[in-house]
Amino acid sequence: MAEQPLHEHTLGNGLRVVVCEDHVVPLAAVNIWYGVGSRHERAGRTGLAHLFEHLMFQGSANVAEGEHAALLESAGATFNASTSFERTNYYETVPVSHLELALWLEADRMGTLPAALTQANLDNQRDVVKNERRQRYDNQPYGTAFERLCRLTFPAGHPYAHTPIGSMEDLDATTLEDCADFFATWYAPGNAVLSVVGDVDPEQTIAAVERYFGGLPTGPTPPPAREGDLGPLSEVRNEDVAEDVPSPAYFAMFPLPSDGGSDIEAAELAVEILGGGSGSRLYDRMVRRDQIATEVWAGVTRLAGGPSLAIVDAIGPDPEKIAAVLDEELARFAADGPDADETARATAQAERGFLEQTETVTGLANALSQNATQFGDPARVFTAPSRAASVTADQIKDMAGRFLAPGARTALTYGGAR
Amino acid sequence: MSNQITMPPRPVPGPVPAWSFPSATSGLVPGGPATLRCDLPGRRLASVRLVLDAGAGRDTRGKEGLATLTARALLEGTEAGGGTALTAAFERLGASLYASADLTALRIALDVPVTRLSPALELLSTVVREAALADADVARLVRERLEEIAQEDADPGTRAMRELRAVIFPEGARAHRPTGGSPASVTAITGEDVRAFYASVDPAEAFAVAAGDLTGTPVDSALASALSGWTGSGPALPPADRVMPVNGPRIVVVDRPGSVQTYLSIAHGVPDRSHGDWPLLSVASHVLGGGLNSRLNAVLREEKGYTYGVRTGLLRLRHCGLMITQGSVHTEVTGDAVADALHGLRSVVADGIAEDECASSVRALADRAPAEYETSRSVAAELADAAANGLGTDYPSRHLAAVRAATPETVARAYRRHVDPEALTVVAVGDAAQIREPLEKLGYAPVTVTATEPAR
Repeated sequence: MAEQPLHEHTLGNGLRVVVCEDHVVPLAAVNIWYGVGSRHERAGRTGLAHLFEHLMFQGSANVAEGEHAALLESAGATFNASTSFERTNYYETVPVSHLELALWLEADRMGTLPAALTQANLDNQRDVVKNERRQRYDNQPYGTAFERLCRLTFPAGHPYAHTPIGSMEDLDATTLEDCADFFATWYAPGNAVLSVVGDVDPEQTIAAVERYFGGLPTGPTPPPAREGDLGPLSEVRNEDVAEDVPSPAYFAMFPLPSDGGSDIEAAELAVEILGGGSGSRLYDRMVRRDQIATEVWAGVTRLAGGPSLAIVDAIGPDPEKIAAVLDEELARFAADGPDADETARATAQAERGFLEQTETVTGLANALSQNATQFGDPARVFTAPSRAASVTADQIKDMAGRFLAPGARTALTYGGAR
Repeated sequence: MSNQITMPPRPVPGPVPAWSFPSATSGLVPGGPATLRCDLPGRRLASVRLVLDAGAGRDTRGKEGLATLTARALLEGTEAGGGTALTAAFERLGASLYASADLTALRIALDVPVTRLSPALELLSTVVREAALADADVARLVRERLEEIAQEDADPGTRAMRELRAVIFPEGARAHRPTGGSPASVTAITGEDVRAFYASVDPAEAFAVAAGDLTGTPVDSALASALSGWTGSGPALPPADRVMPVNGPRIVVVDRPGSVQTYLSIAHGVPDRSHGDWPLLSVASHVLGGGLNSRLNAVLREEKGYTYGVRTGLLRLRHCGLMITQGSVHTEVTGDAVADALHGLRSVVADGIAEDECASSVRALADRAPAEYETSRSVAAELADAAANGLGTDYPSRHLAAVRAATPETVARAYRRHVDPEALTVVAVGDAAQIREPLEKLGYAPVTVTATEPAR
């Protein structure tokens, strides 16, 4: 869609609302970001933010167990939720005829969730979440790599040292009271942003939001989050993983600047040039020319309250050789920076990434909630291509030297002895 | 606190707005592919899908994986040893190019901001006409594919699908063997094989679809100039076989020692998509394992917590389909979970389908179409897939209309006609030492155990 003006509004109880018209399809995307994620959990209760997300689908004062999903499924809606380090996100894309129903469902659980909290629901969803953990991480080759790298990169007890899925022990220890406290602390209207994108009338939409959410009490101000900063690493910390995996592999994590400034724009382009796709330096060197790896991948997770994180992973018979060649390429990149063509290509890819992220009403609503929650400016989403395009080769070189230096990583070695 | 909140009454939605699948205009590149142009106002990312009638169903016995490797070799460039040159050229345009093969077709996918569609089509033209398919690149791609097979075998879901096809399709069927080949068949493939396979592709049997906001882009002439004069030179590829699946009952355990979950795949052969019952079987699948409230998830996930979720769906092959229920369950409840799944799969035969669950599944499938086909990518891929399967470009619309026309009676009748719940194939990828006995105790079918063979 072409860029449309945004309509912003804040309710008396603090709920921030962003509406964007997009009349291409007769849909409405509803997206709520709550400013709570795994970084806000306390020791001994890892996984609580995500487990609580599951409980938000088990009914509320005026919605029976299973009814939330039943109403949305039978409307042809696509809906889900996700929990990350910094936020929890609930969303549904409905035929525009069902917009008010979707708003009402979100308001009911934002206001009245504890009315439906039961030990039976907690026990059931705890089992579901433990199976989610097994399926996505424990029963997958290399499935715990990200979790291990976070534990290696951040000091014990740091808010980003554990990942949203949490530990089996902490999931087992979670009580109904923990869940009620969690809701009371974090699920206040003032700690949320609601975005609506689609075939809607902005004034009517804001009026409907007032109607359904306006009566919810303001609630407490959420406690300040713990400090999340972490500077670049100065020497490689490596863990040998004795897991039964199909092939030896090498995984690395580099802390990067936080999202929000110009540094992360340059740092993300640097990672893209280094390892993003089959045109990248690492792919060309390791897979095409030296043939020491059969697969190389790199990507960035942007974070606002702590360091963004770059991951590089490679599969190949000799992880030590992969690590040595990685060091060579990092040193070369830090010394020489990118050439003009690499910078232009990375910028063009960033533009396509922006279009992919925002081409659906679902994607745009999520991006608006994100930018409103983290930067107080939903319209920042539209500046992504120009932010990438304004990065210079010198800035990329500077970021590579500071954050992608040979020693600036933690690493996992799988099956190196084979 | 919460009981003091008075919510306004639940709003009652009006009728869902009308929507129809985007229409497309047919064309033809003289001597070359048929084309479809689909104008989607407001979609700034354009998509081109080129489908070649050179799927793995037509690759060579003993060299399975040839179609897959040909697709990958096409991305390696137009000069031997060209390195990153081709990828870089697409990247400069902000474009991505991808190619893959399934049993039905070899598919080439180009996504690009619509402002740069024309130069991207010029580049695509060099790929289809001048790809080097060099020996050294193919040799490297063979090694990468061998590694990928090892990775796939270690993943419970892909391992289950591989085993399911191997047991439900008889030895003579191409679908019996992995689409991307086995270690032995992939090792046998050379650059010469890839060049010969690609030379045998007949451009007149191909389809090209372009979708996006095409206002101001002369896409017909750009497609014509990109693809006209492209010719094949080799003998025709052998036709794909039409060997049908052979139903069970059978239970096959793929031993994965130490597995904390069992990946279940429970399947039955069904007709292909040209059969009038396919849309009804889609509805039946949704009733069984479509959403959180489907029969299987209501029990296995929401009542018992055995799983993060299961799903029932139809696998689309060109000459048949498979109705597959799959998901991961905690190892220690494997026997109980299979019993519950079998009970659910029998329930449509025994009890039929209720009015409200049929209506809910129909709406879930039909009313999500505007979201499902919101992007150029999804529209182009669906049209290209319909063309590749010989279903006609009106297939997506016809399918949706038939889903809307489903009733509890027609859905239950179609299920009973095509699915025998006493003749299912159950594949369980998990720790045989723990799950074999509980599965035998079900008394459903004899249990055989397959070791996870080393990939190399």
